[in-house]
Order: sequence, then structure tokens, then C-alpha cells
Amino acid sequence: MEIIQTENLTKRYKRYKKQEGLMGSMKGLFHREYEEKTAVDAFNMTVNKGEFVGLIGPNGAGKTTLVKMLTGIIAPTEGTIQVMGYYPNKLEKAFKQQYAVVMGQKSQLFFELTTEDTLKLFQQIYNIPEDQYKKNKNFFVDLFQVKDLMNVQVRNLSLGERMKMELIVALLHNPKILFLDEPTIGLDAVASRQIRTFLKDVNESKGTTILLTSHYMEDIKVLCKCSIVMNHGRKLYDGNTDLLFEQYQKSKKMTIYFENNADSGIPESCRILEKTKDKLVLEIPKEITEKVLEFYIGHYSIRDIGIEEEEIGSVVERIYREV
Amino acid sequence: MKNNFKFLSALIKLRLSHIMTFRLGFFGPFFIDTSYFLVQIFAFEAIYGHVDSIRGWGHGEILIFIGTFSLINALNMTIYFFGVISIPEKIQTGELDLYLTKPVNPLLRITFEKVNPGSIPLLLFSACIIIYGAKECGTSFSGANVIGYLLMILLMAILYYDMELLIRCFAFFVFSVNNLVKIESTAIELCLKIPGIAFYGIYKVVFYCILPYGIIATLPTQMLIGVLSLKGILFGMTIVCVFTFLALSFWKYGVHKYESASC
Repeated sequence: MEIIQTENLTKRYKRYKKQEGLMGSMKGLFHREYEEKTAVDAFNMTVNKGEFVGLIGPNGAGKTTLVKMLTGIIAPTEGTIQVMGYYPNKLEKAFKQQYAVVMGQKSQLFFELTTEDTLKLFQQIYNIPEDQYKKNKNFFVDLFQVKDLMNVQVRNLSLGERMKMELIVALLHNPKILFLDEPTIGLDAVASRQIRTFLKDVNESKGTTILLTSHYMEDIKVLCKCSIVMNHGRKLYDGNTDLLFEQYQKSKKMTIYFENNADSGIPESCRILEKTKDKLVLEIPKEITEKVLEFYIGHYSIRDIGIEEEEIGSVVERIYREV
Repeated sequence: MKNNFKFLSALIKLRLSHIMTFRLGFFGPFFIDTSYFLVQIFAFEAIYGHVDSIRGWGHGEILIFIGTFSLINALNMTIYFFGVISIPEKIQTGELDLYLTKPVNPLLRITFEKVNPGSIPLLLFSACIIIYGAKECGTSFSGANVIGYLLMILLMAILYYDMELLIRCFAFFVFSVNNLVKIESTAIELCLKIPGIAFYGIYKVVFYCILPYGIIATLPTQMLIGVLSLKGILFGMTIVCVFTFLALSFWKYGVHKYESASC
């Protein structure tokens, strides 16, 4: 069952084209030239109930603009948009009651107060009955194991803990749709993993439809069965996430720290990204990752080794070239 | 309606908890606002200490006028001023996004989210001045006058809010509202010192109909001393209705045109 649907959804911004220098600024006082920037361009998408969809794209791709239109914050310039049967920008109370949005860079928490205080306010905002409030709160607090942090001032929480609290606050009213804009931005590996596990649990146990925008491949790969890739406001890919990575993610990044100064050899078809006395960073074709790993472990004394997915920008660039 | 009250109650409790986190932040405004009030009184005495009458208003009536302006300003400062003045920043930084996505009226939330108990003593001081002014007038006021006065205070507090909101809503369309705020401050400063009855001609049109700060303390004072005609009452009510309509429509239009911020 479709819960989000857009057709030819377009958002254009008009911006002042300033001419260079003081003369240009003076001319601008009397005669202005504007240019149109298309942030989202004839975008069609469909999300079904209960799906966990990833929205991928580099900076300026139009992801946040799209989320802002889906949540009703801004109005589209053209096209149709329907979220749970509502036109979002009408900002109807019944519509807002049914979704939640978490923006990684904008906090809903009161920094000087505790999360418990913020939750009390959200109980009133969403008009949640007391028993339901307690039940939901306990469910999420247990899931995240943050009971001890509920009465700590938000300003004293770490970034990862704050994001957990943001999610609890957002999910308190059992939204049907959760819009997540860069929830793991700036978080370390442990906190990111905890957030991912939590989101997966929420999606599976509560059936919440989740639309996740992220720069981190790992987030998308672990969580989203379906992905939408966009760049310059246009949709480049819409489909299965595994297929996407299989098709377009061609390489991995391997970082090796040697125990001793090692003048290591480089396997064929690998590209050196960085090389110091005891550190080597390589770009490796995805299919030979295992062989390369075996090669270094077998031939050198290794202190640490890390393998990362190819960064999102390169993948999107490749999709853009090939589609 | 009931839900809104429950929400407001939770919001105000949260705000008070927030202020009380910092002791200096809680007690400081009491001293600052009291000092500000005293400066205003000294300024008033310097101007009106040697003036016997302004268009029939003696020292007592002028005192009621000053006390009334102070009272409305104190209500403004206590209840909604700090919320309303945060609107331009919320628009420019995109913080308004989070307000628009919640199922409570964003304007209601912004208006009451920064109540300031530090201005409560001003309410008491203002009441003292009004009582002192009334004694100096030497006339006793009827219950009807007092009730009418309180209703007029309520209306004028709404008008004050409308004016503040109207000016801040320009932030939806322009980069900065600082110059408009300067005009607002100048007009308030002027109308705090000169009663509306002293304005003539074009000045009266400006300060009664366009920037109606001239009526904010004048009409309630006239009501209390029993010289406000039915025409005056209707005029006051009409101005409040018109400006409330304008302010709310401008806000709605601004929200409709809101483009958020890319941060």
C-alpha cells in the first residue's frame, strides 16, 4: 500500500544573480537579474507502507528539499505530492500527528533540561494519553538502554546519546512515517551502529515507514532494502539497494597499519591513495578485496587493518555517468 | 481548546524550569527590569515635573497614562515579547521547520515559549503608579470604569502583540528586519512619553491608525478617567480587529511562502 507518492514534483528557487564588485552591487540596487535553481526536478517516487527507503545523493542533490516538501515545510513549485493521503503543505494537524522528522543538524531537545522534560512537552504536543505515553517511553528507553540518561541535562550528553534521545522524542507518538535526515552525521562507529540497530528494530517491530537520507553508505546498506539515488534534483536510481551496490560500487578502500616500517608491495589493479612509513591506503576493486586482504595478512606483520565502502560521491558520480 | 491549554501549561512549566536552571538568569531580569522602569519614571518626571496640563490632562492623568503604558509593556515583556522577537531568527536559520512539523499551532508555541517572569515586578510597579495617579486626580472611579479599563488593557496588549508580530513577519520576505524594529522602538519611545491626545492632524492619523502605538495607553487611560466616548471604544475595538486580522494573515502568508534555510 502506497504511503508516499509524488509525480513530477519540482521545486525551483529564484535567486539574485549578483554582479561582481561594487559597481555590480550598485547596479543591483536598481536592476536585478535573477536565476532559477531547480532543487528538485520532475521527481517521481513511491514508498509503500512499512518500507525502509534510503535517499542517497551528494551535497546539493536535493535530498533535504525533497524531505521538506514531503513534510510540508515548503511548498512544491510544480507536480503532485501525497503523503498518507494528505497534501503536506496544507499543514493539517491530522497529518502532522502521523509523522515525525529528525534532522541531524537541528535538535528538538531543550539543552538545559533533561530528555524527560522534553518528552513531557511532546506528550502534550501530540496529545498522548498517560498510559500510552508511559508504554511508548518505556519501550524506546529499553530498546536504547538509556534509562540512566533520561534525567541528565541534554547539554551533558554525548552526540551519540543526544541522537538516541532525538529519536525517542520523535517516535514517542508512534508515527506512521519517520523522516530521517542524516541521523548519524558526526557520530562515531559505535554510536552509528547502535542507531542503526534501533532503527531496524523500530521498522520491524512497529511497522514504521522510514525514509532515511544519509551520506554514509553503511547506513543505507545495512538498513534500506530500497534506495533512491538523486543528483542535481533528478532521480538516477530507484530500486533494490543490494543491486545498486552490486552494479555501481566498484571498489573499496583498505587502510593498513604495519607493525614495522614495511616497504610493501602493491597488488595489481590496486591504486595507492596514501603511503607513509607504516601506513598504506589503497583503492581496491571490490571483487579482489579478499585476495588483497589475504596477501597482506600472509606477507606482512600488521597492526591494524580497515576496509571501508567506496564513498557515496564516487558511486553517485558513476551512476550519473552510466545512467 | 482544552488541548491547547494543556500544551501551554506544559510549555510554560518547561520554560520556568529552563530559566530556573541558572540562578542569575532567573533573578537577574528582576533587577534589570526594575532599573529600566525607574529610568523611565525619572525621564517622565524630568519631562512632566513642571508641566501642569496637556489638553486637559493634569499630572494625575499623565501618571495613569505612564502607568498604563508600563503595565501593557510589562504584560508584553512577561508573556510574549521574547517569543515574538525570536521569529526572524527562526525564519533565517530554518529553525521554524521544527515548529511547522508539529501538530500544534506554531505561532501559539512561539508566542508563549519564552515567558519571562523577570518582568512581573513591573506589573506591580505599574499598578502602584496607576493607583497613585488615580489618587492625585482626586476622583473616584466607578466599577464600570475599572472593568472597562481592564478590558481595554487586554485589547491594547493584543494590539501591541499584533504590531510586534506584523513587523517580525517581514523576515519571511526580507533579509533583515532591524530597520523596521528601529522604527518600532522609536514610535514606542515617543508614544510612551506623549499621550495620544496631544497628537494632531497627520500625526494623529499616523499614531492612531498606521502605527497605532498612540492609542495603546491613551484609550485605557481615557476609559478609566471616564472621558472615552462610545466612538472611541468602537474605534479602539476596530483597530484591534483590523491589526489582528492583518498580523495573522501576514503570518499565514509568510508561512505559505516560507522557503526554509539550507542548513
